[in-house]
Amino acid sequence: MIRLVRAEFLKVRTTQTWFWLLLAAMAVSALFVIGPFAAGDVRTGSDLAQVFSAASTAYIVVFVLGALGVTGEIRHQTITATVLATPSRWAVVTGKMITYAVLGVAYALACLIVQLAIAVPWAAADGMSVRWGQDDIPRALGGVFLVLALFGIVGLGIGALLRNQMVAVPVGIIFLLVLQGIIAVIPKVKVVYPYLPGGAVDSILPIRTGRGFDVHLLPFAGGVIVLLLWAFVPAVLGAAVTLNRDIT
Amino acid sequence: MTSSPPDGRIVVHELTKVFHGNVRAVDRLSFTVEPGSVTGFLGPNGAGKTTTLRMVLGLVHPTGGGATIGGRQYRQIPNPLTVVGASLESSSFHPARTARNHLRVQCIVAGLPERRADEVLDMVGLHDAARRKVRGYSLGMRQRLGLAAALLGDPWVLILDEPANGLDPDGIRWLRGLFRHLAGEGRTVLVSSHQLGEVQEVADRVVILDRGRLVSSGSIAELTAGTEVVRVRSPHTDRLAQVLTQAGIPAVADGPGVLQVRGSTPAHVGHLAFTAGVELHELAAQGFDLEDLFFSLTGSAYGGQHAAPPGADPRAFPPVGGAA
Repeated sequence: MIRLVRAEFLKVRTTQTWFWLLLAAMAVSALFVIGPFAAGDVRTGSDLAQVFSAASTAYIVVFVLGALGVTGEIRHQTITATVLATPSRWAVVTGKMITYAVLGVAYALACLIVQLAIAVPWAAADGMSVRWGQDDIPRALGGVFLVLALFGIVGLGIGALLRNQMVAVPVGIIFLLVLQGIIAVIPKVKVVYPYLPGGAVDSILPIRTGRGFDVHLLPFAGGVIVLLLWAFVPAVLGAAVTLNRDIT
Repeated sequence: MTSSPPDGRIVVHELTKVFHGNVRAVDRLSFTVEPGSVTGFLGPNGAGKTTTLRMVLGLVHPTGGGATIGGRQYRQIPNPLTVVGASLESSSFHPARTARNHLRVQCIVAGLPERRADEVLDMVGLHDAARRKVRGYSLGMRQRLGLAAALLGDPWVLILDEPANGLDPDGIRWLRGLFRHLAGEGRTVLVSSHQLGEVQEVADRVVILDRGRLVSSGSIAELTAGTEVVRVRSPHTDRLAQVLTQAGIPAVADGPGVLQVRGSTPAHVGHLAFTAGVELHELAAQGFDLEDLFFSLTGSAYGGQHAAPPGADPRAFPPVGGAA
């Protein structure tokens, strides 16, 4: 399994997709720090936890990375070489799940470093005294790692189920960015929001919900469980059903 | 590399693949591929060659029957790249990845040292292009890369789908030499082709497929026994034909002053002519032709689903399409 994970890492490293996606994730993270600081909205440690939680927005980028990890192999037919080397589809999927979870952690680290590099000097310049162990800051930082690690697997699973890169990536982005937000504000329908990936992220991170948002979120542990299901159910289904199809 | 050569026999038994409920791409196909020889896997486009090879390699699930390599199904072989090397017609590479990196990935999975990637790239003549992205590769270069990938694990069994496609004449000559060399080492080499002539010069054995069914299999010597043609030129063809017919050997005219003699040898024809006192100007065994053999076995001009249009050249071997 170590060989498989190393091989998956080399696959990611030897195309340039990871670099551009990482750049996008870091840019988004930087904007989510600069924006609130520039607007003078960051006055307390709790505000700072909000800022750090926003790094989780990179989950969309990690989702795309994971989805490309499967659909790219199908599109370019490298899946043939992959399966010839590792005939067990379960082993292939497990190796990919470990790889993309670790990649999610790496992206989280890069995004948080960008955020801290901007937020720490800015907070000091504003005369804030930050208590790092309090005000939900540890939960925000830890939550970003957890969310991004699991979203790598969510992307893989959705990619394995939908197979087609030109479907999986746009559908995933539109669902995560647009549809979830709409579902959260439609009366009656919004009760499902806590069980969507976005709802789970809101449960995990110390995010203050805006006005007009009155969905009752799950507790932290509930959010973790929901996101674990979103990660593993599609991946297992994808391995069982889709990847066992004939490779022609 | 290993002390005792592993068993590289490929056994295909009653292999069947039905696509979409009714297209029988492969129909109860059975044959054996022996180690130490080059076996040509022949048939027109759409005969089911690629589907068969993909079933042997565990990529396509058979509807019925099965296939083993060295007594095991491909999926049961531990670290298969070191036992079986395969290059498939549509085996593709990520366009943005370099050839060397593609092979490095496979090296890691198979637990091979990464220098093995450079070794096989040198072997197939891609040394200078190793660090270029596959996007810029020609068809011939992709074929070479596919072959490099197949050779990576120093396997005892090689399964190659249309490896000569896109290669220039030099490349094809080199490929033939490589096949001979590998078979000489006791390895199993199974090479598919829709161009019969391509395989004829290198294969010891052939498996001939048409419309998913086995037409014939065996060594070329067995299959062609009794089908050799001797070409004789003589100023007295009428007399010669008479002599041959008396000896029970059929002869047909092939242009003025030329006879085609089947079921004999140049020595025998020469002897008969000499004892009858018939002057000869030419006496030669004609190159055996796999295409003739194929058409005599299938009785059809094309493979695939269509009958030959009237007047079509029965030697034409056009692509038919359909499930390959």
